[in-house]
Amino acid sequence: MATALPSAVPYRSAFWRTFWANARIAPRTTLGFMRVDFVFGTTFIVPLTQIVFFAFVVQLGGGGPSEIAYTAIGNAVATVTYSSVFSVCQTTDHEKSQGTMEHLLVSPANRLALYFGRGLIPILLSLATVAVGLVYAAVLFGVSIPLSVIPSLTVSVVLTAFAMVGFGLLLGGVALYLRTSIILGNIFLFVGLLLSGVNFPLSVLPVPLQWAGDALPLTWGVAAIRAVLAGEAFGSVAVLWGAVALAAALSFGAAIGLWEYFERRALATGSIARF
Amino acid sequence: MMATALGRVSRSRSTYASLRLAVLQFIADPQWLIPSMIAPVVFALVSFELFRSAGPYFLTYAILGAGMMSMWGQTLYGSGWATGQDREFGTLEPTIQAPTPYLYVVLGRVLWNVLSGLIGGAIVYVVIVAFAGGPPALPDPVGFALLFVFVMVTLASVGVVFAAFYVYTRYAGFIQNIGEFAFYIGTGCMFPVVLLPFYTNPVSLIFPPTWALDALRYLSIPGYRGFAWGFWGDLLGAVATTAVYLGIAGAVFTRVEHHVLEEGNLSEY
Repeated sequence: MATALPSAVPYRSAFWRTFWANARIAPRTTLGFMRVDFVFGTTFIVPLTQIVFFAFVVQLGGGGPSEIAYTAIGNAVATVTYSSVFSVCQTTDHEKSQGTMEHLLVSPANRLALYFGRGLIPILLSLATVAVGLVYAAVLFGVSIPLSVIPSLTVSVVLTAFAMVGFGLLLGGVALYLRTSIILGNIFLFVGLLLSGVNFPLSVLPVPLQWAGDALPLTWGVAAIRAVLAGEAFGSVAVLWGAVALAAALSFGAAIGLWEYFERRALATGSIARF
Repeated sequence: MMATALGRVSRSRSTYASLRLAVLQFIADPQWLIPSMIAPVVFALVSFELFRSAGPYFLTYAILGAGMMSMWGQTLYGSGWATGQDREFGTLEPTIQAPTPYLYVVLGRVLWNVLSGLIGGAIVYVVIVAFAGGPPALPDPVGFALLFVFVMVTLASVGVVFAAFYVYTRYAGFIQNIGEFAFYIGTGCMFPVVLLPFYTNPVSLIFPPTWALDALRYLSIPGYRGFAWGFWGDLLGAVATTAVYLGIAGAVFTRVEHHVLEEGNLSEY
């Protein structure tokens, strides 16, 4: 016997159902990377080639083993950008091109569950990418990773992955208003290499660029991981964890706020699919 | 005789039309230059910072490397798109059925990819020169310019082979995105290939740009230590490998056309 929902009570889909549905479906649809070859390449090939590339650049520039190790750590962490920022920020493009954006905007799905669900696989993939990158850094470039720092390192990597995926969702929100997110994706895929202390300390850059770097979650993630590997005191590492967590919270918060704003505009003007 | 002459006109006209269409598409949507330009500009700035205290000619390394990466990126992505766009627009089958060989259609697109890569390279040059406060010292500017054009030809030859290969595979996106850094390393975009482990050198030497870029460095960087056979050996190797690539491209495209016309399975890939 079918029962109709009372019209006065708005239908709310369950939080976890929305979360899992998005976690499972997004990689195969809007994220567009859930193919074995891409997962394999992003996790195993990109970290290796990126680290090797910059290691040789440092070597040509006269850098010694310590400078090469510095670059190897930085790039191992920076490869997180492929699966977190670049893939995630393109969800908007895919929604538009697949014609699902309008349906998504009028659905009663819990938005928090939706965004966190979409971020789940990228977060896991980001963790794998950074972990593999750090293994390459240790095995090929002599970066020391004592067993005693593994718990702190894990916390740093997890926080960084969360923050970066949040940042990717934020860019995806900005991309709602653009014709394409490919430009944003490319900018933030590579700009971290310059502004986030990946290849050289941030302090060598002009002050305005240092400020720009400070606004990127990757900067704090790289700093936290470097601090752990350098064996710094728990107090200073905790401060950096706080900064990464803050960056994550701000990114997710701003992403949700931005999507809500654009949703309201879309419902008011009916023009969200125009791009 | 008449038919042959007409055929040649048709081929060059097809290449020109394809080039023109590629230019018009670019003008309508020039944002495609940005993805292929952002990475090289960032890499150039990073390299510039890393090379800063390593002597005057390292500015040439940074510019040459980043410019090369821009052109490589455009070749790698653009050539994939050269056949990919036909698949997406549904024009692959009609284009291959046309009397003009498909190679000449792709050639026009690849030429534009190389030219737009050159634009990207010029932008990289301007950005780095602005950061460095002046242009790099070039011992032989005319020779440099001529050889640079030849480097573009070597890239075009790779582009045509890639475009032919991409007709057969659904992994074009994988090769472009995942293999990008591998190509930069393998062809020595930012550093001489001789720095890599010796056993990797044969793989690098498969690619014509490796030879041409090494020759370009010999010409523009005094005291440069690249492959042992020197400038002329590099040049000879670049010409030979480019000729081989163009031959392979012609053969593969001919085979592709025959194959798909016989089997009628172009859409299956």
